[in-house]
Amino acid sequence: MAESEAEAPKAKPRPIVRLGIFLISHSFLFSVICCTAGVLTLLLLPVLAKNTYISENALMPGSANPMFSSQEVSEANRLVKSLTSLDLKPEGSGIESQRLIAEYMSDLGAEISYHKFYPRSNQFHPLHFFSYPDSGSTRENISCISHGLNTVGIIRAPRGDGKEAIVLVTPYNSLKDIIWLVADSRYGEYTAVDAWLRDYHMPVFSGLTALNAEICPVSNVHNKLKENGATERKIHDGFRRAGTMAAALVIKVKDGSEHFEDSLSIYAEASNGQMPNLDLINIVNYLAVHRQGLRVKVGKMQSLINCKWLKILGEILQSLGHVAKSLKPQWKFGIPAADYVEGAATLASSLYYQALGVPTGPHGAFRDYEIDAITMEISSRVALNNKARKNDFLLRGGRLIEGVIRTVNNLLEKFHQSFFLYLLTSPSKFVSVGVYMIAFALLVAPLPVVAASLYADAHKVDRSFGIDKSSPQASATDKISITPRSCKWLNAANKVFLVHLWGAVVSFLPYFICQIPSCTPTTSFVVWVLLSSFSLPILSLILGSSFSYGRASQPQKRDWTLLKSVTISAAFIGLCLMSVINFATAEIGALLMVPMCLMAQPLKLDIRSRSLRKFSRVACNLALGFLGSPPAGFFVLKGAFEGFGGITVGDYWNWLESIWSWSSATYLYIGMVHLPCWVLCIHVLLHPC
Amino acid sequence: MEPKEQSKEKKEKLWFWNWLIASVIFRLVLIYFPKNLNLASRPEVSTPLTSLRRLAEGYWLKQLSVSPYAGSMYHGSPLLLSLLGPLTVKRIEGQPDHLLCSLVFVIADIVNAMLIRATGQNLQMEYIRSLKLLDHVKLLEKPGKIIPSGDIAALVYLWNPFTIVACVGLSTSPIENLAIILSLYGACKRQAPLAAFGWVIATHLSLYPAILIIPMILLLGYGPDTPPRKLFLQRRNVEVGDNPPNDRCCEREEVVHRPEVPHIFSWRPVIHFLCWTSLWSVYVLVLCGISVKRYGGLWELFKRTYGFMLTVQDLSPNIGVLWYFFAEVFDFFRNFFLIVFHGNILFMMLPLAIRLKHRPCFLAFVYIAISSMLKSYPSVGDSALYLGLLGLFVNELADMQFSFFLFCGYVGVSLLSPVMHNLWIWRGTGNANFYFATAMAYACLQIILVVESVSAMLNHDRMLRKPLTELQDGKS
Repeated sequence: MAESEAEAPKAKPRPIVRLGIFLISHSFLFSVICCTAGVLTLLLLPVLAKNTYISENALMPGSANPMFSSQEVSEANRLVKSLTSLDLKPEGSGIESQRLIAEYMSDLGAEISYHKFYPRSNQFHPLHFFSYPDSGSTRENISCISHGLNTVGIIRAPRGDGKEAIVLVTPYNSLKDIIWLVADSRYGEYTAVDAWLRDYHMPVFSGLTALNAEICPVSNVHNKLKENGATERKIHDGFRRAGTMAAALVIKVKDGSEHFEDSLSIYAEASNGQMPNLDLINIVNYLAVHRQGLRVKVGKMQSLINCKWLKILGEILQSLGHVAKSLKPQWKFGIPAADYVEGAATLASSLYYQALGVPTGPHGAFRDYEIDAITMEISSRVALNNKARKNDFLLRGGRLIEGVIRTVNNLLEKFHQSFFLYLLTSPSKFVSVGVYMIAFALLVAPLPVVAASLYADAHKVDRSFGIDKSSPQASATDKISITPRSCKWLNAANKVFLVHLWGAVVSFLPYFICQIPSCTPTTSFVVWVLLSSFSLPILSLILGSSFSYGRASQPQKRDWTLLKSVTISAAFIGLCLMSVINFATAEIGALLMVPMCLMAQPLKLDIRSRSLRKFSRVACNLALGFLGSPPAGFFVLKGAFEGFGGITVGDYWNWLESIWSWSSATYLYIGMVHLPCWVLCIHVLLHPC
Repeated sequence: MEPKEQSKEKKEKLWFWNWLIASVIFRLVLIYFPKNLNLASRPEVSTPLTSLRRLAEGYWLKQLSVSPYAGSMYHGSPLLLSLLGPLTVKRIEGQPDHLLCSLVFVIADIVNAMLIRATGQNLQMEYIRSLKLLDHVKLLEKPGKIIPSGDIAALVYLWNPFTIVACVGLSTSPIENLAIILSLYGACKRQAPLAAFGWVIATHLSLYPAILIIPMILLLGYGPDTPPRKLFLQRRNVEVGDNPPNDRCCEREEVVHRPEVPHIFSWRPVIHFLCWTSLWSVYVLVLCGISVKRYGGLWELFKRTYGFMLTVQDLSPNIGVLWYFFAEVFDFFRNFFLIVFHGNILFMMLPLAIRLKHRPCFLAFVYIAISSMLKSYPSVGDSALYLGLLGLFVNELADMQFSFFLFCGYVGVSLLSPVMHNLWIWRGTGNANFYFATAMAYACLQIILVVESVSAMLNHDRMLRKPLTELQDGKS
């Protein structure tokens, strides 16, 4: 579309081209409108959220009467008592408790096996997202000293074919096998679950087990367990498997910190902002609220709740809703201001945890195997000393779990009916992909338009130059000189490619930096910054000189427009790509990057003409350029939400390390899209023209 | 001045070789990290026809005295099986698997690049000659105006990420591309046996290059790309009618002494080519017949290779659009749409051949681009080929529209496609439509590329005509 403008006077172009030309010629207005609309839509998302509904009819939550009774409660009490008494004993309590649980499970008629695993150290898998979870290659650095022991009980479905399973347990006969995994959380909950899942899905053949056995001398834990445990029980040596997992519930009990009532916190974010199917959350929410009377909570950004401007915005929206309702009673989009603030805080936390790309609990391990999973953290109102309270609490919790299991048991195939891509604004309200994508699309829509208009501008300038040059007495042959105008962007593309390559180098540097022994976060960060800033000129020296072939000999005055155009295109591609991988990252990135990319203009040009408007633009540019740099952006955001006290330079390094150790795509985004674009924008700002 | 020029030229030559060596090193580095990339299992890289894994399976079956085509695993040529098959089972201790095959593909890529370069030099000589004939001296004199298109095309081919991925990802498309480029090179050099050999092998390996016979015949008959014949006739008319008094007189003398443009279709090389073609085809058929004699003969071979290509039996996703379409279409319409899709390629052949008959190499590029868009199992290796050939016409297509848009589109689609595939297959949050959307975008990009490049080429021809008509107008 960019170039068609040049051809316009020849013939009347097609309507779509004309539309493009119209947009391009009004690109400034267009971008201002679109960006504002994008931000506004983002702020409106809590209002636009819909109530959740259970989409899969087969689920029929709560259709069966709960069979979980006081008898089970007393049994549970007994188990708890014996476990706590074990905890008091100092020696060998770890193994003992597993034996006790195994005993309990086998009393329920489960097949029991123990799963030994070795916690893995954090590794850098930059391309983890693009490949399926792999075995084999990750088995190298296992420390033999520490190992965990999971207890696995599998209740075989009496009427099923053993092809499907739910991970968890209640005393219940079902069509699906139920696996109860008691994770050894000495080395973190996630590690245990992840190790078990890996072994569940990646069968290890004899060769490798032999290898493992060689590496780590078989401890006699198994034998001890067998001796101690009831020998007549069904304890299996090998790894036991049930069918494919339909869903997984991770259950945690937290001791009373709640003030009002028993509550249930749901954590759902898995790696790279993937969410479980909304139906799973719906089931839990429905059963918890309507059957057991628990208060369901999802993560909230506390600092936003007391935010002044958010409250004001909520009130404005509320009054707008009232006005709309008075105009036409069918229009019911207003929500109370308090609800709006709550929704916004939940949405912000939902966005933040999705953008981080780090799972919020052990359920994250399941998502890598396409299993929908959530963590339910049940906490009671008072400390569990009161016997009656405790029994009541256990009863409700047990019934909730039973209800969820029964509902999932009704599932005919995998969860597929409801949404996978959504943001929560409250446990019972969500924003689906179709709505939140509008905000993002509006935000990034100016990018291609502005890129095209800049591109067209650059060529128009060329054209006028050419006309000026050709004097009237020039011969006819001179006019047909080929100006390789379409190749002009190649130089700019070269530069952009170089910087993006540099971005890739920078994002792989920490891999080497963390090999340096005894390095504090601050020093590693400084080393990183130094190495990155040195590598840019070196890289451009190596590649830039050899790229120089065919480069225009004289530096063009306005080649920054082309550079900016290519930069914006690269940013557009990167953002669109990221919005598919992890929407939340792309949204936050777009909020930071789009204004920066659109505003960038050589400072020299603005300073030369001394008008207030230009100076405000310079100030804007400087502020955006500062905010856009990844470390500065991080510190400002962190300071805004958590206060500026106690922020050190090393925090940024720690934050990034936590991201890349979870092999989050956000890390790659920061290194390979955001950072290069920022550098290019700074380059445009400082362009000598 | 002279030595300076020479040193500059030398530097330019060195520049080419440096990049060539760098590309080889880059490939070798990538070959040593096959596990991390897992390219061989990507649907974009290895199709049912080009996957080396399938070839190894076929070879294994053959070793067990079972038909290599049993079980619908292998669908390639039996000759490729006996050439590459032994290399797939050979392992060198401590080296990555399939190292030997990878080296073969790297060599094939380098040979491809060298052949493209030689073709490009040939085309460029012809281009300069015809410009001289048309008296566009100004065009030639401008510094940096004539870019060495052969070098550019070879480097574009070598450094194209698609080529690298196809080469490292253990797909046989470098070999198929080699056959096609060999035939083009042979035709450009007017070596009928070589051209015939390349064409027969290319057709045998992947069937679709069969349509290249038209550009081959034109290339052998008319010679490499030139501006339209009409222009030369016009030019002659202008010069004959020119009056001697002006300062053109000496120049005119030169013109008169210039050899006439050989623009009559010469049948001799074409007949040669056809004879050699039939000879090579018989030879290939006999070889194939020998190798599949025990497994059902030639008919079985055709059914399992060409039949498999033409009836689109494997509907596993790839970057083309046919798999989705035939997965959706009702079974009783299947044959109809098979004919429609393949007829599409054939319908476009004749009009393009008439319009572009003076530029047979460009015509071959257009054919390859169209067939790689509409073929049943496209891979990035096919795109690598036509993008490399596009570089041959860098002088003519310098004014191409939408080049930046196309570039961004190709970058975007090639990044988005694996992500969508991942969402669909591994994350389970997307579905087939996600991936198909990128395939459609890719097809659209290819269409735009073909349309824009053809129109840019025609515009270039028009531009060459302009001064001539102006001269004529001025006289009359």
